[in-house]
Amino acid sequence: MRNLYSQVWTLALIFVTTTAAFAHVGNPNVYFESDAGPYHLLVTVNPPPMIPGVAQVQVRVTSGTVTNISIAPVYVNGKDQGLAPTPDPMLRSVNDPQWFTGKVWLMQSGAWEIHAEVSGPQGEGKLAVPVSAFARRTLPMQRSLGVLLFMLMLFLATGIVSIAGAAAREGVLLPGSVPSPRNRRMGRIVMAVATVLVVAILVLGNWWWNAQAADLKHNMLYSAPPLSVAFDGKGQLSLRIEEDYWHKTRKDQWSMGLIPDHGHLMHVFLLRMPSMDRFYHLHPAQTSDDSFTLNLPAIPSGEYKIFADIVRSTGFPETLVGKVLLPDVKGGPFSGDDSGTAALTLGSSASTTMVSPLPDGDNMVWEQAASTLKTGQTTWFRFRVEDPQQHPLNDLEPYMGMAGHAEFVKSDFSVFAHIHPAGSVPMASLMLAKEDSGSPMNHGSLHTVPAEVSFPYGFPQPGDYRLFVQIKRNGQIETGVFDAHVAN
Amino acid sequence: MAETARITFQSPVIVVEESSVRATAVPWYIWSSVVAVTSTTFGLYWDISWHIGIGRDTFWTPAHVAIQLGAVITGLSCAYLILHTTFGGSAASKENSVRIWGLRGPLGAFIAAWGGFCMLTSAPFDNWWHESFGLDVMILSPPHVILILGIFMMGFGGLVLTTSQLNLSTGVARERLTRILLYNGCLLLCLLFMLGLEYIGDQTLMHSAIYYRVLGMAAPILLVGIGRASGRRWAATILAAIYTGLWLAGNWIFPLFPAQAKLGPVFTPITHMVPLGFPVLLLPGAIVLDIVLDRFAARGDNWKALVAGTGFLVATVAANWPFAYFMMSRYARNWIFAMNEFGYDMPPSQYHLAWTLRAYEKTHVEFWVGMLIALIATGISTRIGMFWGDWMRRIRR
Repeated sequence: MRNLYSQVWTLALIFVTTTAAFAHVGNPNVYFESDAGPYHLLVTVNPPPMIPGVAQVQVRVTSGTVTNISIAPVYVNGKDQGLAPTPDPMLRSVNDPQWFTGKVWLMQSGAWEIHAEVSGPQGEGKLAVPVSAFARRTLPMQRSLGVLLFMLMLFLATGIVSIAGAAAREGVLLPGSVPSPRNRRMGRIVMAVATVLVVAILVLGNWWWNAQAADLKHNMLYSAPPLSVAFDGKGQLSLRIEEDYWHKTRKDQWSMGLIPDHGHLMHVFLLRMPSMDRFYHLHPAQTSDDSFTLNLPAIPSGEYKIFADIVRSTGFPETLVGKVLLPDVKGGPFSGDDSGTAALTLGSSASTTMVSPLPDGDNMVWEQAASTLKTGQTTWFRFRVEDPQQHPLNDLEPYMGMAGHAEFVKSDFSVFAHIHPAGSVPMASLMLAKEDSGSPMNHGSLHTVPAEVSFPYGFPQPGDYRLFVQIKRNGQIETGVFDAHVAN
Repeated sequence: MAETARITFQSPVIVVEESSVRATAVPWYIWSSVVAVTSTTFGLYWDISWHIGIGRDTFWTPAHVAIQLGAVITGLSCAYLILHTTFGGSAASKENSVRIWGLRGPLGAFIAAWGGFCMLTSAPFDNWWHESFGLDVMILSPPHVILILGIFMMGFGGLVLTTSQLNLSTGVARERLTRILLYNGCLLLCLLFMLGLEYIGDQTLMHSAIYYRVLGMAAPILLVGIGRASGRRWAATILAAIYTGLWLAGNWIFPLFPAQAKLGPVFTPITHMVPLGFPVLLLPGAIVLDIVLDRFAARGDNWKALVAGTGFLVATVAANWPFAYFMMSRYARNWIFAMNEFGYDMPPSQYHLAWTLRAYEKTHVEFWVGMLIALIATGISTRIGMFWGDWMRRIRR
């Protein structure tokens, strides 16, 4: 196998692959946990599938008694971004007073912040939630609606032809007069002409409808920028962010520059396909505006899926997707914030795994509350590090400013989510939101770490998932690996 | 004497004299048509103002309800009229009707019902379009075109209902029906102008050919058509005057109601409903239409269409071109002329663009070709209006 790869890289020193996929890869929802003044909230935002559209907002109050929450969307374009519209009150559930629902209108693609004002007996608080708005899909017409509209169209078309015929045949006759043969002939001629006209209008209308729909799809549907990947045959990976139509047509409207997230402009995740038995979280160096190089650590050969997280200067996060075929790479040890781990082949464990052994002999334990995981349920995923005698360990350190990082990956790689204890929004976006709203910053960036690390998240699709949970102890980054089956 | 002269120049058609069929009162269904078209026209003005100032759009905004109320009123009243005429009407009402699919009723009722049905059909289509392609960002989407088609057919049906009755009436009833026809016709003109608002509502285009192309295509067909159908002297002038009055009323009354922007980003804070802008100076062109068609009544229709159309265009340009300078000046930035009114999405940094005349056509050649097209369009529109008006004067059922 080693020889085979050597030959491949000898013949073609550079192997390039380019793949485009949805940003945030299959995870449209935003999960965000934070304080708003004296209250602690878990916010879930379901952005609209098309833009302009309506985002559904749900708030679970986890600490304190909240009586009112009002929300308003703020567009962030890094330029003249205007003001928020009049805030709307969220609806408080009658049965569950800690549960609020509301909606906001997102009129443009790009970065938004939902500004929330929270009030209750303990006082008032503010919160800003970064939300990305982009068109994900158009909706095919349901068969029943299609049949209904076709029948209505048929009725209207035959109706107008008949009306035209009646107008020509009888419309100008004196009351009581019977249409003459000439009147009847005129009526038939007009009906024939009207039929031709109606058919022509319907054909033209159908063509126009399809053209409009295709134009909207072309202009609105989001695609992540293609990621060009090149391996030099030794140990360096070159990554370039290409420009696609969606970004090209919007770069005049909002800033496309990159800002660091946890101190890095790009977070690259490599997962060996299809088994996910190797996982790497690496940070390439920027060489130009859109280009990066990555000195690989020691990596065994195989085809690797690449997920590259970036954050635009408006706070709009994107995940670029690619693939690369690698030989055995004799790289050096991990440095800085880079990390990786080996794991069992995905699917080798028959059921959900709850304990993941760590390299130093300790264990990471998943404290799963519910016996069955389901799609669309916002859940706290709690993890605890303990010694072999099951004693909790309190030696966790911040890893890139956070208590931990978790990556949720579906077995077919169609879902990838990079989650923090504060939720699914990147720290860079949170910092911008804080600046814009003037709300205090307490989103999980810390200097001391509790024994337990939790991540709010909801699985978007049923299926098998692998969870990579990364923490830092004694200067070493450790990764726990868990498998989960998610029911519909 | 004046009456005879008027009928002679307007049309060769002879007014029916049979007393047995002569209508003496305005039927209820014509009043319901007036209410329906008024509701829809008012609703559309309100809806556009809503989009500009408040922004947020759901099916159940009051403006949408007003628009669809017109469809519901039309649908119900025309359905009742048709069913009643078919199954329970008098012999006279049956004789005074047309037959479609075994049903009997006035021709206008069928047309208006078709329009109302078309409007209602657009609702589920529009809802699906929003879900599939996002909330409204364009006026002329396929479901909106169906709605607009329905609105115009509803209005057209109302006109046919009115003219069929008008052509059988005398005395007070005829006078009332003439007024109703002019009013309904004017509402149709307002609807047409709302459709062309992107061009004729943009005062910065008053020195561009596109402004006059749109005006030339839209206005004469209704001014001349309704004018001929009504048989009233100075009908085009009356229509233009009603349009100007209604539009000014909208311009001055709407801002009296408070409003706030409900969509972001908000570049101009909104405190009240935003009006649609000062009306087009239509009166000079309408006066010319009336004078030419009256003075040269004996000439052929094609000749009259050419001369009247040209006169309309020249008078419209002569009035609006210099008026554009005033509209761009600071003297127009007040509640009377509304040039200081902006939607929520207009950044203050771009206000100056709304106060600066711009050239839609990029070269002089393009401009003059555009004006030539405007001239031809105005002539054709005038000729179609004459043809349509003549047909409406012959409608009896």
